[in-house]
Amino acid sequence: MTLSTSILLAAAMFSVGVYGLLTRRHAVAILLSVELMANAANLSFVAFSHFRGGATGQLFALFALAITVAEVAVGLALVLLLYRTYGDTRTDAAKELRG
Amino acid sequence: MTFDTLRPLVLPLAVTAAALVVLLADLALPPNSARRGKVLGGLTVALLSGVLVASFVVDTSGLAAHGAYVGNAWTTFFARLFLVAGALGVLGAMEHLEAHAPRRQGEYYTLLLFSIVGMMIVPGARDLLLLVVAFELMGIPLYILAAYAKTDAAKTRKVSDPARAFDAAEAAKAPHAPAAEAAIKLYLVGATSTAITLFGLSLVVGMAGTTRLAGLFGAETPAPITVVGMMLVLAGLSFKIGVVPFHMWVPDTYEGAPTPFVAFLSVAPKAGGIAALVVVFLLGTGGHPGHWTLAIAVLAAASMTIGNLLALPQTDVRRLLGFSGVAQMGYVLLAIATGNAEGLSTAAFYLAAYVFSNMGAFLVLHAVAADGGTHDLAGLAGLSRRSPFLGLSLLAFLLSLAGIPFMIGFWAKLFIFLAAYRAGLVGLVVLGSVLAVVGLFYYLQVARAAYMVEPTQAAAPRVGGALRAAILLCLLAAAGLGLWPAPLHESASEAGASLSNSLSTGTPAPVSPGDDSQ
Repeated sequence: MTLSTSILLAAAMFSVGVYGLLTRRHAVAILLSVELMANAANLSFVAFSHFRGGATGQLFALFALAITVAEVAVGLALVLLLYRTYGDTRTDAAKELRG
Repeated sequence: MTFDTLRPLVLPLAVTAAALVVLLADLALPPNSARRGKVLGGLTVALLSGVLVASFVVDTSGLAAHGAYVGNAWTTFFARLFLVAGALGVLGAMEHLEAHAPRRQGEYYTLLLFSIVGMMIVPGARDLLLLVVAFELMGIPLYILAAYAKTDAAKTRKVSDPARAFDAAEAAKAPHAPAAEAAIKLYLVGATSTAITLFGLSLVVGMAGTTRLAGLFGAETPAPITVVGMMLVLAGLSFKIGVVPFHMWVPDTYEGAPTPFVAFLSVAPKAGGIAALVVVFLLGTGGHPGHWTLAIAVLAAASMTIGNLLALPQTDVRRLLGFSGVAQMGYVLLAIATGNAEGLSTAAFYLAAYVFSNMGAFLVLHAVAADGGTHDLAGLAGLSRRSPFLGLSLLAFLLSLAGIPFMIGFWAKLFIFLAAYRAGLVGLVVLGSVLAVVGLFYYLQVARAAYMVEPTQAAAPRVGGALRAAILLCLLAAAGLGLWPAPLHESASEAGASLSNSLSTGTPAPVSPGDDSQ
């Protein structure tokens, strides 16, 4: 495992996340895809930190974790609101607004 | 940690304290008191005004937190901008909250205040960690606020009668349905942009080995992986600012979310996003943005063109203002693409002008729609005869947004065009001027509905005192500063110059004993 393979792995994870974001129609699945993207960032932070020395990357990854957790808490609450409103958490249900 | 190292951060800290005060007051007040909303809203506005006054008294310049934050005229200018936008946003939302969410008013104000704290830290951040945390502190409360049209009554009904809650067709007709959709859209866009920005930053920070902004990628020819990282950061920030091609959430969110909140959302977080963009791209490159200005210029041209053209066919004024907002951010990016002190000053001036004009327009729209009206052009029919005050205000805000003399928006556009012309961006200036004429067409279409079309109902919309005060303040600022723009221009120039100075001196990052950045 070298730095470049780690970064490639992170980039692949990120791409899978983007793919899921674009193709999934279920709000929770979209949330998971976004999480995958954020964790790809964490992987790359930690990989840089591991292979190049220094704790900056690991520190940043910890902060990023905390931020995404706070964000997901709000996101799940909104999914719950979507469910209460439409009785469904597929984003197709919410297409009242154009675009 | 002594007080002195925190002194530049005293304004955001004061707003944090204000948020806690409002939260405690919310707990202390009896839940069914009739004056609850007025007390909480009034308290929030008073605290924000107090901090605004303090910003003129307290000297907040200098380094804080071992150089991770720098206070100067630039941060003070933006702090005032956010405080004013926050106070206007609270005034505009008070009556709406009292009517629709009487038991959750305190939370609304608290979340709004926390969002403002995040915004106030962003322009002075000199460390990517602080920047990211502040940026998210600004963003996360906004997702919650966007869903606020959900009324307390609807909530209890659904809990007591679950069978009804699952009737999707019925539920979609509920008044809060678009707000749920608007909130989830805003959230998904926001969370995606955060993930993209974080991934980009992981590459940039990994290559540089530091989180300090100064000269983060100062090399003349950055490594390809750094370039990819910066592209991702630019894309992530563009989502937040809502510029083409990352703009499609803007009109949808504006249409669905509660209008008094949109008035705030459409100005303050945009200014925060622009501040973050400036900080990352100008400070990160050590004042030599080089070919990044080209990327920003492309975004500016695309936003001005697409935003203005897509606004033309809109009949819902919220969507129209949404697309016009995309175009307006294009003008701000044009100012930033100059990359010099004058451009930064004009961007700051433009954002201040935009606060008053755009918030005012949304608040008038809210005033009309709140009293049984609609948000489309038909709902504005004959507004000038129904209520001369609202009609005149709307006309003033639209003229200001279009850039007609002598409203504040005219000077804002003029200064940006002058700065861009001097920086050699002649093609973009021509494009911007032509598109400003296109903008005039759709803004005046709204004014035409308010002035030329026969009213469908005679009664003037009932407007609450706080909302009326907010509109009046916006009107006074937009017209008053339009006639006498010198004070605002002066402080904007100072702001741009101070940021530019911290560039040319290389932003000395003092290494104190406690500094643990590698």
